[in-house]
Amino acid sequence: MQSPPQQSEELVYAPAVLILSQDLYPRKLEIVREYIQNASDAIDSFASIAGIIKDNSEPVIKVSVQGRSLLIFDNGIGMDGDEVSKLRRIAYSEKRAGHEAGYKGIGRLAGIAVADKLKISSTSYGDPELHHFEFRAKEMREEVSANKRRGVQEPASQVINRHTDLWSAPIDRKDHYTIVEVRGISESCPELLDGKVLKEYIGDIAPVDFSPEFKWGVRLSQRLRQDVPDYSPKTVYLSMLNGDRIRVFKPYIDAMVVAEPEYIEVLDPANPNNTVALCWFATKGQQVLDRIRPAGKIFSVDGDDSRDKKRFAGLVYKLFGFSVGDRSLPVRTLWGQSFPRALWFTGEIHIIDKDVLPTTDRSDFIETDSRKRLYQAAERIPAKLNKLAQEISNNRKAYEDGERFKQKLQTWKERLRTGQIEKAELKSIRGELHEHVSRLRQRADKCTDLDVQQFDKEVQKYATNLQKDLDEAKSPTSDNSIADVAGDLNMTAKAKKVFQIIMDTLEDHFADDPESYYELAARISKSLRKKY
Amino acid sequence: MADQRDAVFNTNRNKDFLRGEYDYSHVERWCRNRAERLNYLGLPAWEMLDIIAWEKFLNRFTTIEREENQQHLMFLQANVQDVEHRLHSLYGEFDQILLTGRDRNGRRPEWPYDIVNLDYFGGFVYADLSRPKAIKKLISNQVDFQRSFLLIITQHLRDGDVIGEKAAFLDDLRRSLKSAVLESATRDAIDRVMDWYSDSEIPDSMRQALYMNVFLRDAGEAEHFDVECRPGILYSGTGKASMIHFVTDFTFRAGIAHKTSSRQSLLQLVDLGMLEVRNGTFAKPALIAPKLSSSDGGA
Repeated sequence: MQSPPQQSEELVYAPAVLILSQDLYPRKLEIVREYIQNASDAIDSFASIAGIIKDNSEPVIKVSVQGRSLLIFDNGIGMDGDEVSKLRRIAYSEKRAGHEAGYKGIGRLAGIAVADKLKISSTSYGDPELHHFEFRAKEMREEVSANKRRGVQEPASQVINRHTDLWSAPIDRKDHYTIVEVRGISESCPELLDGKVLKEYIGDIAPVDFSPEFKWGVRLSQRLRQDVPDYSPKTVYLSMLNGDRIRVFKPYIDAMVVAEPEYIEVLDPANPNNTVALCWFATKGQQVLDRIRPAGKIFSVDGDDSRDKKRFAGLVYKLFGFSVGDRSLPVRTLWGQSFPRALWFTGEIHIIDKDVLPTTDRSDFIETDSRKRLYQAAERIPAKLNKLAQEISNNRKAYEDGERFKQKLQTWKERLRTGQIEKAELKSIRGELHEHVSRLRQRADKCTDLDVQQFDKEVQKYATNLQKDLDEAKSPTSDNSIADVAGDLNMTAKAKKVFQIIMDTLEDHFADDPESYYELAARISKSLRKKY
Repeated sequence: MADQRDAVFNTNRNKDFLRGEYDYSHVERWCRNRAERLNYLGLPAWEMLDIIAWEKFLNRFTTIEREENQQHLMFLQANVQDVEHRLHSLYGEFDQILLTGRDRNGRRPEWPYDIVNLDYFGGFVYADLSRPKAIKKLISNQVDFQRSFLLIITQHLRDGDVIGEKAAFLDDLRRSLKSAVLESATRDAIDRVMDWYSDSEIPDSMRQALYMNVFLRDAGEAEHFDVECRPGILYSGTGKASMIHFVTDFTFRAGIAHKTSSRQSLLQLVDLGMLEVRNGTFAKPALIAPKLSSSDGGA
């Protein structure tokens, strides 16, 4: 049996700090999330005392770029000297898992992976001092690498102490804020200094509100505030290089043409009174019969390439308002193999059960019973959405068939009116018309959209009326609206046969473009009449 | 956001008066004349007291800071004051950035500017003349955009006459003044006034005030600016450092190829003399320079 380590024995060595910081964030933008997460928690913490101390300042998180520095500021609760001094401790956090978005105590130092220095300044309400923390990351990285080459092993705490500094200065006691400066960002991480990239990223992952340019936003926000206990969107401002300051919102806007959103309450199978998640979803919309209706296709937006266009296709998990994983995670965890229909929808799954914990890089959830329970309960999401997708597909087909048939009917009617339909063609038109009516009836039967059903009925009625017109045109007593060139010109049997072969060949040739065929047939007919 | 001013701001009544009243009135005048907010370039300390005082007249502000921790505090201050989006903070030495066109991160100033406030740490004339060269470069950059501007310069009075620059300057100035007038009485007055300035018993602040104004006028006129100087203002800054402060209008004159001749004559400029601020207001100067325009020629 091994003896317990002696108190003085060093258990963690300097390279561990580099491994922790560098390997945790393969996607460097995750560093921004870490600091916004801390800022968000600080704002939530301050909200609990803001009323007591009558501080009515607007809680804000502000992100800006200056030179090669990324800055994240919040006017949340701030840190006192004791808390700032604990920034030296790796993976030390007094936050409780399940109560705040961040709780692992690693994210605060995320910046050391990508920058020369990390500078954090903070003060909390009532504290007469502003506390500064500096982590000279590049200096430490270089020293640790050199020591490794030389075979020198140094305890992590010694190295951290040598490459960090703490100091304080007087400040107004009423102040409360934190600023993080990730200074001297590596040229290999340009995305951290790119305002456009930051805007998209923060909008995607942060607990921000819906854009005022999204007509469903207010309604969605109200519902989420009502049913998701920790739903508390933050005001995040981003300074752009041109001097504009923009408020960052979720990415959904009216220009994306989003159909009316709906909700799915995910209930705990073991206790149906317990809601473990709330999902809102919406499909790509299209203008149909004076209203935006589900389009029934992959949710796409404007973009440069196929991947860019589909970037909002699918749902995304949200925990404390922050995204966990990307839109492929619900597809993988809930849809499995039959996933294409999942991409017809966009939306969010807000997890209410806070026993579900994210992995450190927030790409997934930690495998726990809570996660299992969530996935099990959330099976009703793909079940409902797949069914809905089928309905949307049926409705879309019912409308599209109706619309196509209507256009065809209008063409026939016009041709009938102008005498462009040959007697020989009548039979095939009547057959086609009958076939369309029958198919449209079947479509309408499967359609659940009452407006589309009504539209299809009107098209069928139009078809019935045209049928009568065609019947009348066919009768011997009718006028010459239906042309019979062979008969009118007293063609011989052989000539008739040749004429029929020519016309049949042309019809075959223009099978994909009947309009051109009819136009050509009318011209031939006119020319023959003129000549003979 | 609570006001930090009382706790940490590094200022005094004299600086407050100049910034909040004297300079303020000039910045306001420029904003009114231009009918839009002004673009600012300056060397404020991290507190950005001038920017905050003149904020309503300003659009974007470019600051130059050479100390990393001071720049970090400036970022904090900009956020606390809710102006972080209007801040364009360059990192490095002002003179170097002006002369090379870039800061240590490769960022450039956002030329042109409407107001330039150079609150120098230290004096103006050093052995390498980098500050005068940087001012000339500043004026040259402004002329590229044909942009008039207000230049505010504050400096310590501690460089003395490091390289004999001012002694040579006074000789040159005497010649220039004399070549501009024919009357012997005036030429005598020029000698008397220049002798007074050259007297080693006279405080260097008097020479500095004259030197700076003539330097700015010459540099501006060479780049087609009509330069209007004002008296240098002597005051005691933080830590009781002797400071001198200049506010100068540079008005671009378009459509001329020759060197501009300012509406303010050189003789008028010499007679500007110096003002003094004590206890947060203008006070009678301890010493008044003789004037060319007075009948006795300052005798």
